[in-house]
Amino acid sequence: MICTPNNPAQRRFFYRFAVAMLLYAAALVVSILGFVHYRPTGVLAYLLAVLPALPILVMLAVIGVYLAEETDEFVRNLQIQALLGGIGGTLAVVSVWGFLEDLAHVRRLDLLLVYPLFWVFVGISTVVVRLRYR
Amino acid sequence: MKNRLRVLRAERNWSQADLAQRLEVSRQSVNAIETGKFDPSLPLAFKLARLFGATIEQIFSDESQG
Repeated sequence: MICTPNNPAQRRFFYRFAVAMLLYAAALVVSILGFVHYRPTGVLAYLLAVLPALPILVMLAVIGVYLAEETDEFVRNLQIQALLGGIGGTLAVVSVWGFLEDLAHVRRLDLLLVYPLFWVFVGISTVVVRLRYR
Repeated sequence: MKNRLRVLRAERNWSQADLAQRLEVSRQSVNAIETGKFDPSLPLAFKLARLFGATIEQIFSDESQG
């Protein structure tokens, strides 16, 4: 994905993504402190547990908005390829790992790692895509 | 797709950055189109044609057509 913002759409993406990340950090703190101090149950426990995931959904939406707003078609093409690499890499790893868990009884993959894993693959794909078009 | 962008640019003494600014795209985009690594959409091809006062066919040629 984008390393340095070069146009208004990219600047808006950076700003929105940064806000979503700050919201994530805040939601995570609220959620953890809520569970530690109040030990909620029932619906409240579900709501508090899902709270940090909401900014992650916002981050995904921010990516979609950026792709819709990016007016440079070549740059948009690069970003889409990088994102597809991220999605493909992540799906490949979790699919293989799923069978390893079920059949070879390897350690269970924490689902919370899937989203960071996606970004790791997006990073790798970004480098590969940029090298292709250099 | 082959194109005459480099020649047309040179005739006007424009750098890739100059052309990118006129097209409102990044310099990387111009470079990718110029080197044939990226085929522009029809709207961008028309924009290029208008900018150089030429037709799309005068700028781009299909390699598969002998």
